[in-house]
Amino acid sequence: MNRPSSIVSLQNIGLRYGKGREVLRDINLDLEPGSFHFLTGPSGAGKTSLLRLLFLTKKPTRGLISMFGKDMATLSRRNMPKIRRRIGVVFQDFRLLDHLTTYENIALPLRVAGQKPKDYRDNVVELLNWVGLAEYADVYPPVLSGGEKQRVAIARAVITQPDLLLADEPTGNVDPAMALRLLRLFAELNKFGTTIVIATHDSHLIAKAKRPVLVLNDGQLEHN
Amino acid sequence: MATASKHKEPKQASGLMPRSQMPLRTLMIAMTVMCYLACLAIGALVLITRAVNDWSSDISGEVTVQIRPSDDVKMSDKLVVIADILDKTAGVSSYKILDKKAGAKLLEPWLGNADILDQLPVPRLVAVSIDQNKLPDFDKLAAELKSQVTGASLDTHRRWQAELTRMGNSLVRLGVGVLVLITISAIALVIFASRTALDANRQVVEVLHLVGASDPFIARQVQWQFLWAGLQSGLIGVLVGMATFILLGISSGGPASSGLADASYGLLIGTPEVTSVTYLLFLLVPIVATLLCLVAARLAIMRILSNAI
Repeated sequence: MNRPSSIVSLQNIGLRYGKGREVLRDINLDLEPGSFHFLTGPSGAGKTSLLRLLFLTKKPTRGLISMFGKDMATLSRRNMPKIRRRIGVVFQDFRLLDHLTTYENIALPLRVAGQKPKDYRDNVVELLNWVGLAEYADVYPPVLSGGEKQRVAIARAVITQPDLLLADEPTGNVDPAMALRLLRLFAELNKFGTTIVIATHDSHLIAKAKRPVLVLNDGQLEHN
Repeated sequence: MATASKHKEPKQASGLMPRSQMPLRTLMIAMTVMCYLACLAIGALVLITRAVNDWSSDISGEVTVQIRPSDDVKMSDKLVVIADILDKTAGVSSYKILDKKAGAKLLEPWLGNADILDQLPVPRLVAVSIDQNKLPDFDKLAAELKSQVTGASLDTHRRWQAELTRMGNSLVRLGVGVLVLITISAIALVIFASRTALDANRQVVEVLHLVGASDPFIARQVQWQFLWAGLQSGLIGVLVGMATFILLGISSGGPASSGLADASYGLLIGTPEVTSVTYLLFLLVPIVATLLCLVAARLAIMRILSNAI
């Protein structure tokens, strides 16, 4: 039986900031297409650093990263956007653009990909309804609550139905009911083939989802 | 149906780079000043070139025969011989023997209007107009005058003409140098403004990169705003520059006056031969400013982004 090739492969990854100690050490990880993992660990264990490597805003100090079959060390800058368009990212601090409306923030990846507004309007509206922000379509992020911003950030990450979704504490600012609803959204996406990695401290969410858990401890990865 | 289903896409989608966080106003002010200075430099260049051409043309169209008085031959006899020589010389279209008063008048600024001039051996002058299309043989004419008339000499103004041309060329080079410096300063300004624009929008740039925007896509979000700033600055700078030349002309009495005011006025409201050149050169200012803003911003942004994540 042919084992499906990994969508993400990390081999002997090490990462240090400046001349400090390594925050990630000897990380080996293979994510198969359509898999769903939680990433957890104590604060400062390196979860956010690992996610930064995965959404390509950091380069490892050592080791090899391969995504979608491409070696990231040799990937040209010109081809980087093609890889990034296959990845949806939810940031812990949301990173919404304050001068764009909720609608425009969610539509941003589609606009960047060159799609015409009339082609993506229905998708954006449907997602706005799904995350319960239909009434806030024309509202700017500064007037939204933390939970609402969180949902906008999630909607922006999933609007393109990415091959890989990386989320850093995506339920950190929402109530348990909304957290479960968002988990269902992630599970739904996963059913359609999106590989998902969610970094979280929320043990209830992890327990509910019954998915494999990656534990980072002092920069080293353990698979549970 | 929920409210969002009625959501209508705005006709003009919001710019991905907020204008409020770009140094566009500062860039426009600085670029307008640059364009205004460029306009003044161009105007000065046209004025200098015209003046040098006019003066050269005036000087080269005339030569002077100077006859110093001597004891052996009477001046009237000398003038008769000189007139004879000039009549026979090909290329001399006309000549005018200046009387003694005219010669004394030329010395008035230095010696005053005193009777002493009558007692001094003031040379007599003959102003000779020459045919520009068929120049006489000056060396031959000078030799003939010298051999046949004691104390006669020919002044072709060649030395003055050469010095005038040299001075004119130096001023033109200076003007071109000023234009080059203005262009370099403008490029530096645009590069600095591009860097400031990206610094102020660092988070926007990062998010755009993360959602898959390419460097050229991000550069386009900024460069078109810079292009507009360049075009507006160029037009304002040129209009103010043109107004300056017109005011310079009007303030000194309009087209009837002479000197710099007349020349300034003539730049824009003169003969089509002059104004067409001026307007063409002034039109280049906003075009160059626009292109400069577009290209310099694009190159600067692409270079900065190549070092980003």
